[in-house]
Amino acid sequence: MVTAFFSLVGRDLRLAMRGGIGSLVAVVFFVIAASLFPLGVGPESALLERIAPGVLWVCALLATMLSLDRMFQDDYDDGSLEVIALGPLPLELVVLAKVLAHWLTTGLPLIIAAPVLAVLLNMSTQGFAVLMISLLLGTPILSLIGSVGAALTVGLKRGGVLISLMVLPLYVPVLIFAVGAVEGAIFGLGAEANLLILAGGFLFFLVLTPPASAAALRMALE
Amino acid sequence: MKRKNRRLLFVGLGLAALGLAAALILLAFDDNLVFFFSPTEVEGREFTAEQRLRIGGLVEEGSVVRDDDGLTVRFNITDLSTAVAVTYKGVLPDLFDEGQGVIAEGHMLSGGFVANEILAKHDENYMPREVADALKKSGQWQGTEGNVGEEAEE
Amino acid sequence: MAVKKKKAGIGIHFFANPARFLRFARKIFPWVTIIAIACIAAALVLGLAVVPADYRQGDAYRIIFVHVPSSWMALMIYVIIAVASAAGFIWRHPLADLVAKSSAPIGACFTLISLVTGSLWGQPMWGTWWVWDARITSMLVLFFLYLGYIALHSAYDDPTKGARAAAILALVGVVNIPIIKFSVDWWNTLHQPATISKFDRPSMDASMIAPLLLMVVGFIAFYLVVLIIRLRSEIAARRIRNLRLAQTGN
Repeated sequence: MVTAFFSLVGRDLRLAMRGGIGSLVAVVFFVIAASLFPLGVGPESALLERIAPGVLWVCALLATMLSLDRMFQDDYDDGSLEVIALGPLPLELVVLAKVLAHWLTTGLPLIIAAPVLAVLLNMSTQGFAVLMISLLLGTPILSLIGSVGAALTVGLKRGGVLISLMVLPLYVPVLIFAVGAVEGAIFGLGAEANLLILAGGFLFFLVLTPPASAAALRMALE
Repeated sequence: MKRKNRRLLFVGLGLAALGLAAALILLAFDDNLVFFFSPTEVEGREFTAEQRLRIGGLVEEGSVVRDDDGLTVRFNITDLSTAVAVTYKGVLPDLFDEGQGVIAEGHMLSGGFVANEILAKHDENYMPREVADALKKSGQWQGTEGNVGEEAEE
Repeated sequence: MAVKKKKAGIGIHFFANPARFLRFARKIFPWVTIIAIACIAAALVLGLAVVPADYRQGDAYRIIFVHVPSSWMALMIYVIIAVASAAGFIWRHPLADLVAKSSAPIGACFTLISLVTGSLWGQPMWGTWWVWDARITSMLVLFFLYLGYIALHSAYDDPTKGARAAAILALVGVVNIPIIKFSVDWWNTLHQPATISKFDRPSMDASMIAPLLLMVVGFIAFYLVVLIIRLRSEIAARRIRNLRLAQTGN
């Protein structure tokens, strides 16, 4: 079962590698969207410093969301999802494998790009470490919640817009606690409480979203 | 592993993770999510001029002074034991008043706290004017002292 | 005797039969209608004309009598949707799915009323129509949750599939409810904390609580009235669909 799990992750990663620039769209979007803010609100460094944590997190959230609709769609379209569902791996673990692959191809690149953007946005240095930890804890939550949205819309036409409508409200708590952590660090209030909530939320969604996504996929495959 | 055992294992792991999640979140609320410093906390610490801060408390009665330019306001934020002098230049929210809850965001400079944003807060007490007056007279008034001060002291 | 046996399971399976539900609904419908009209009218008269003005906010606070009950309804209906979704998902209970589906637009309307009245209240009190504060924003998020739920329901051509998909979404979305409920206590916001949470010492004068509670009862009754009407039409629509299918089948 462990081998089946990792071969599924490996397969998705290989597919993403061969997709070339297509699989980097999320991180490219992240960088472009974040660099639009200085153009939009002006280059005043105090203002940018103030909004940097929020801007980075909102852009990370949007970038993740944009990449969601491909999580199951391609496999569903070419029928491989059906084959995988018939295989030895329970569908819940298939979802987890997909989520892991999604996070490795979108969440991880975002985390690597984030500090560079934080410097460009003049973010206060006290917030850097916490920003990284919050992304490390928060982006997997985004992938997990996103899997539910992706699974629910897998058989639908125009699923992409629907995913945003369903998933963005659910992303709000992640955004609040993550930005709360970074600002807490910047304001010297301490980030522990917010980070603990993010960690708790990660475990919570790690348990609860795979069954929900699996139920949705089963329905789509009926 | 048998199918049934495997399922049991997953359910067990899931429950353990949920328990851990609940513990982490409860721990976080125990640790308490703070949004601002109280004046007493500010008093005991050193802050650099670059450090952004939020200070929350009540506007001290009789401390509000408006400068001649009509924009700059000076007042003290108090948690009823310590007070911090605040300077603010800009438009104040309507509910800003002496004795009311307020949160100031800005920097601690040598001459005191310079705010660049002020948030006012109104309390959750509703009562007719006569009742409010009667309460104040009898010394049972708990209205405006309740909120921000309490939270700041926690 | 068969009826007696059924009584034990009145909670879940009693209404699985739509005809039985319709009979029950016909019986209670006039009563809830009367309660709704009477309570809302009484609450409006009391709240707008009889109850004294607030010591600090003057007459403006009177909007609380609409604002607070509709906020409660908005949250309560989402919880009802989640519970009904769970019942529909686990036991494939047909009426539960319909209850969830029919409640969503009502809940969305109450959320909208709460947002609009809040905004109207904010204008004289905070000096602005809208603040991005935790409580207000989380109510807006709740509104979007409702919209997503309704959109997902209607995106499926097959209503049973739509109901199952929407049920999954509703159950995942429940996570947000406590966050909305407690946002005021957890974050420091402009929005005042909940008024009637402390029963030993509600922070509202006794004379002011009566219209508030009356309005809550009235709103709940109103919700039931609209829910029954919507359920009737849903059941009728399903019958028509089944008849059509039967016809084309022959």
